[in-house]
Amino acid sequence: MWQIIFFLILLTNIGFVDLAFAQQPEQSTPASEVHGSDFDQDFDDDFMEEDSAQLISDPFEKLNRGVFWFNDKVYFYLFKPAARAYRIVPRPARTSVSNFFSNLSSPVRIVNSTLQFKFADAGRETTRFFVNSIIGLGGLVDAADRWGEIPKKDEDFGQTLGFYHVGQGPYLILPFLGPSSLRDAGGLVADSFFDPLTIHLSRNWNFLERMELRAGLAVNFLSLDDDSYEKIKRDSLDPYLFMRAGYAQYRVAKVAK
Amino acid sequence: MRLLFILLIMLFGSPAYAASSTPQGQIKQMVDGVFAVLNSDRSPEEKRTHISGTVQDFLGVKSLSQRTLGVYWKKGTEAELKQFMSLYVQILERTYLNRIENYSGGKVEYVKERIKANKAILDTKFVSSKFDIPVRYKLIEKAGVWQIYDVVIEGVSLVRSYRSSYNEILRKEGFDGLINRMEEKLVQMKKG
Repeated sequence: MWQIIFFLILLTNIGFVDLAFAQQPEQSTPASEVHGSDFDQDFDDDFMEEDSAQLISDPFEKLNRGVFWFNDKVYFYLFKPAARAYRIVPRPARTSVSNFFSNLSSPVRIVNSTLQFKFADAGRETTRFFVNSIIGLGGLVDAADRWGEIPKKDEDFGQTLGFYHVGQGPYLILPFLGPSSLRDAGGLVADSFFDPLTIHLSRNWNFLERMELRAGLAVNFLSLDDDSYEKIKRDSLDPYLFMRAGYAQYRVAKVAK
Repeated sequence: MRLLFILLIMLFGSPAYAASSTPQGQIKQMVDGVFAVLNSDRSPEEKRTHISGTVQDFLGVKSLSQRTLGVYWKKGTEAELKQFMSLYVQILERTYLNRIENYSGGKVEYVKERIKANKAILDTKFVSSKFDIPVRYKLIEKAGVWQIYDVVIEGVSLVRSYRSSYNEILRKEGFDGLINRMEEKLVQMKKG
């Protein structure tokens, strides 16, 4: 069933590929000509009048801080050492692993772009999917970005909900996964239904095998990461608060894009 | 003789800003300065001091601190605010100078500049082989000089982030609590 739906979405989007390219020049309109509410809002965003209200509500702060502490331990005692050991694998190979799974999850981005009527984006993601699958050796190489200059654009169901004016809801720290919100955590679940990784590739796997796959992906991701968490932890007075502020703003910006 | 004098003043009157009184001109001057230092063959410690000097010329420390403290700016005594500003700049420096060394390979593209009265928003993009990062500078004009009062990286505002966490600490622990914590943090950061 899902294959059919996906195929239909794919078909509808191929038509928009041309549109995607046709629209590109328009995006570089000189800004001085664009005067709208956004323009004024950007300037009025001066913080001075704003009271010290939080950027995201956090009624479960105690619990969240508990999970944050747990994730911190898991990171330093489990995932980080594993990632460090795994760095023995040459970087290009690790990048290819990351590219492969990123390409595999293209349907998630295509579906969510479509749900937000961002047909040009959906078209671009569809193009990327074909280019990378065929020319990029089944997704190991991000050929579309490297040679076609079509970069990936993240879209997920959390953003789709945001597009339909669903607020983030309370802040949540998910075990192993980190900062999220009620909306975005729900989005993760929804996205898993469009992700070939869950609905196809690991369909017949048991729970443990799925967890192993996720853990492997996490280690691969961390092996490519440049100690971002360590840096935040070292530099901020309270990493929990700092990451919460960062997450809230980052997601708002993602929805706006 | 007087004419010569006027000419000299016109030519050399305000050397730093005469040629770059637009926001973009000024940010470009700063960015070029930083890259020049990064790509020079000075020692890391020397580089850091040089960059710190370059960046501070363009930073509106007071505007930045004012916006970070928000409603608490009016509540602090002059001494507290002074101490806060000094600590804040040091923390920001320690935070970002440690990271900047990774970025010597990239270049900055200037996307668009918007000016409204005494404020300006400059959108730039940091481009390197690995990633593109949109960086937005918010500037305010003070006495003919454009000063940075916020930097927004991928939609995350520096001021907003610090403000959100600092205000919560201020609410719970007051100015003393915040300043103590900042001092402790700095000691920690200096140790490496």
